[in-house]
Amino acid sequence: MRTHNFAIAALVAAAICGVTGCRKHAETAKSDPLLAAYDSEPDWNDSAKMIPLSYQQAQGKRVFYQYCVWCHADATPAGPSNRSNLTPVPPLLNDGATLNAESDEYLQNIITLGGSAMGKSAMMPPYGRALSAEEIRSVIAFTRAIAQPPYQPPGRPGSQYSAK
Amino acid sequence: MPAEEMGKVTDRMRFVFAVSSLIFLAVLAISPFKDYRREWKQYKRSYLRFAQGRPDTKRLTADYSPDIDQIWLPGMNLVDRCTTCHQGITQASLADKSVPEPFRVHPPIPHNVREWGCTICHRGQGPATEVAEAHESTLAWEQPVLPTHFIQASCGTCHQSDLPQTPQLARGRQLLAELNCQGCHKMQGIDRPAMLGPDLSSIGTKVSREWIYKWLKEPRTIVDKDGNVTVNGYETQEEPRMPKFRLTETEIRALTAFLSVQKARPFAPYKISPAVVATWSKNPELISQGELRFRQMFCSTCHSLAVTRAGETKLIGGDIAPELTKVGSKVNPGWLIAWLRDPQAYLPHTRMPRYGWSDEDLYKVTQYVTTKLVDSDLLSGVPKLDAPADAEIQLGHRLFAEKGCASCHVIEGLNPQKDFGPDLSALGGKNASELEFGTAKIPHNLVSYIQAKLEDPVSVNPAARMPQYTWNQADLDAVTTALLSMKGAPATSALQNLVVPRKEASFRATGSFAEVYERYKCYTCHKFNGYGGDLAPDLTYEGSRAQRQWLVEFLKSPQTLRPTLILRMPQFNMSDKDAATLADYLSMVMQHPAVNPAGVDAKQFTPAMATLGKQLYEVKYQCQSCHTIGGSGGYVGPNLNNAGGWLTPAWIEAWLKNPQALVPDSMEPRRNFTDEEIKALTAYLMTLRAGIQPQKTASNTRALAWGHGAGK
Repeated sequence: MRTHNFAIAALVAAAICGVTGCRKHAETAKSDPLLAAYDSEPDWNDSAKMIPLSYQQAQGKRVFYQYCVWCHADATPAGPSNRSNLTPVPPLLNDGATLNAESDEYLQNIITLGGSAMGKSAMMPPYGRALSAEEIRSVIAFTRAIAQPPYQPPGRPGSQYSAK
Repeated sequence: MPAEEMGKVTDRMRFVFAVSSLIFLAVLAISPFKDYRREWKQYKRSYLRFAQGRPDTKRLTADYSPDIDQIWLPGMNLVDRCTTCHQGITQASLADKSVPEPFRVHPPIPHNVREWGCTICHRGQGPATEVAEAHESTLAWEQPVLPTHFIQASCGTCHQSDLPQTPQLARGRQLLAELNCQGCHKMQGIDRPAMLGPDLSSIGTKVSREWIYKWLKEPRTIVDKDGNVTVNGYETQEEPRMPKFRLTETEIRALTAFLSVQKARPFAPYKISPAVVATWSKNPELISQGELRFRQMFCSTCHSLAVTRAGETKLIGGDIAPELTKVGSKVNPGWLIAWLRDPQAYLPHTRMPRYGWSDEDLYKVTQYVTTKLVDSDLLSGVPKLDAPADAEIQLGHRLFAEKGCASCHVIEGLNPQKDFGPDLSALGGKNASELEFGTAKIPHNLVSYIQAKLEDPVSVNPAARMPQYTWNQADLDAVTTALLSMKGAPATSALQNLVVPRKEASFRATGSFAEVYERYKCYTCHKFNGYGGDLAPDLTYEGSRAQRQWLVEFLKSPQTLRPTLILRMPQFNMSDKDAATLADYLSMVMQHPAVNPAGVDAKQFTPAMATLGKQLYEVKYQCQSCHTIGGSGGYVGPNLNNAGGWLTPAWIEAWLKNPQALVPDSMEPRRNFTDEEIKALTAYLMTLRAGIQPQKTASNTRALAWGHGAGK
């Protein structure tokens, strides 16, 4: 009798196990170094440090190095920068102390409409007709990514909620 | 059987029946429980909880259904259930990093996810409903998700011409072409040029057997202490086009023997006028004069020289042509003179232009090259090589074919090899089981395979014939991206329709222009209707832009005011006739359809308009932040000192209206000028005259911007 009970219990356990347990459960995504390595930009103050860029930031980097680098960096792909020719001196793109205080909307406006429309130097030309709004947003995203000191987005902190 | 015993059995039976019913019930209950616990349903529920914790719940859950979501595109034979878990990909408010995956919004791309699906770019198994099956390689599905680092490969599968948004892919394609991979492999979208490696039919007249030995052993001659060289101030691991082959000592000796007897077309020796030699040979300034001429003719636009400053070796100059630091120790001096006078006589397909040399210049420059650009230690490690024996020559001949040398190099009398290596035009779509991993301890997937093969061909196949390249990580990844993009012929006609073919760029010069154009090889640096190099300004609309007289003067003496430019137009010592031929052709043929020279009459400009234009230039629009006039201003845009003598008024007007319509990627901002302002600015610019010719900006250098930090 006891053996019977035992056998039945074992059978039940085996059945449950057979139906549920024996399939490999999908594990949480392993950290793949290739997946983690996005496009990147060296920190302007410390070229040994690489800043990873998201897709949008990488697109902003592309636009930056075509249109903005000539006045908003100290060295350009063609050599010396035009920055020293200008008064007032334009901020470096990674100048967090200056740019972190400005909202995304403000930066979007000054790039789109130019400096004179925002009460700043007319030396900053408007790019709203040469660049799309999406391209301008991506440049701002790139600015935020390379800012030193680092940029903290305003508003409430992100949700701590996790899917798992 | 007694009755009481039957009762007993019945009890036992009842018990067994009860227990088995219980088991049956339990097993039945497992099924809905399992269904409830399914992976995708868990993601569905957690998305709902996540959305409820956010202020915009209503918008986030507008399309929510508790079932499997899928994008079904029958035309493309595509069923993607990825949106079942990746539920927020179209919700713009979920862009923040704090949003947990898989709910984050897809980054902005030019394609609509609903029309294109996911797997067309990301690969993976679209209809799968489990994380592992959808993303990873399984027994039944060997196309795992493409790592996002290489995602530009998917753009390249359809877009066969380069896009500005995909620099990694463009760099990879450029490298595949530059490294002459098409010599041995067939690849989609990369054509075989007329000449890959130099024609070796007469190599024996150019260099010694010892030099060939040295070259086969180590084709790289300029290295600093870390084994790196720098080009144009940017640190690169600039690879000589010739990769390193794994050759044994015997093989190298045999190949040198075979090559050193190749003298199919002996050069015609040229005797420099004895009067010139007599005047200059004793002059102590001969070498420095030669160096000056070498610089003045801008040889370094295409050729580079290694310069060591403070222990750091850099290559200064262009990378179109070979670096010349030690060329004086390489070539036969008689050959050098013959080559400079007529390069095409030795190499019919060379891009080296034919200069109009005077005997004096020729003597000075060749003396400079053979005295200064030398290295007495160049051949120090090379053993003494005697006159080649017949057996060695025979072996060398055989090896030349076996090692695939004839894939890139031509020797008269030898058949060129084609498709020496495997066809790579469908490599990017290969399954891991189709690849040979050998004993390599790497993950069995396509990306690891490509990278291992490129880094060390022997690691995956000990018998590999592929030569050894040295890569930096960025270039390796770029080439991997380009190879992953080559997925072969589209599987269905619907996919065929998605392919954006390369614009076939062809430009056929005609008449007397063709002869001059071919002699000076204008297309090596300039583009004509999309055909040609991108080192120098695109000349497709040059006739609309520049005045004819300016073109003539510039061609005869291509001076530039740009101190920052390293690569400049060489001085060809062009005759008046050649300059006139080129200028006539450019101004007649290379016209922009939207620029109408008859539409603007320079006579209508009044001094009052010019004064207004000057004000607009200096105060309202502050053009001086980028353009220089009279020594002050920025140097982002071209110098405008001579705008009136250089540009046509029709071009200036069209340019001010919409610069990107004339030059699509121009960085000149497009402004909202009124017609009156445009007229005034044009009038002002047309008053600017100077005896010096401005140059265009180095827009080409922009390409180098990618991948280099701008900061110090």
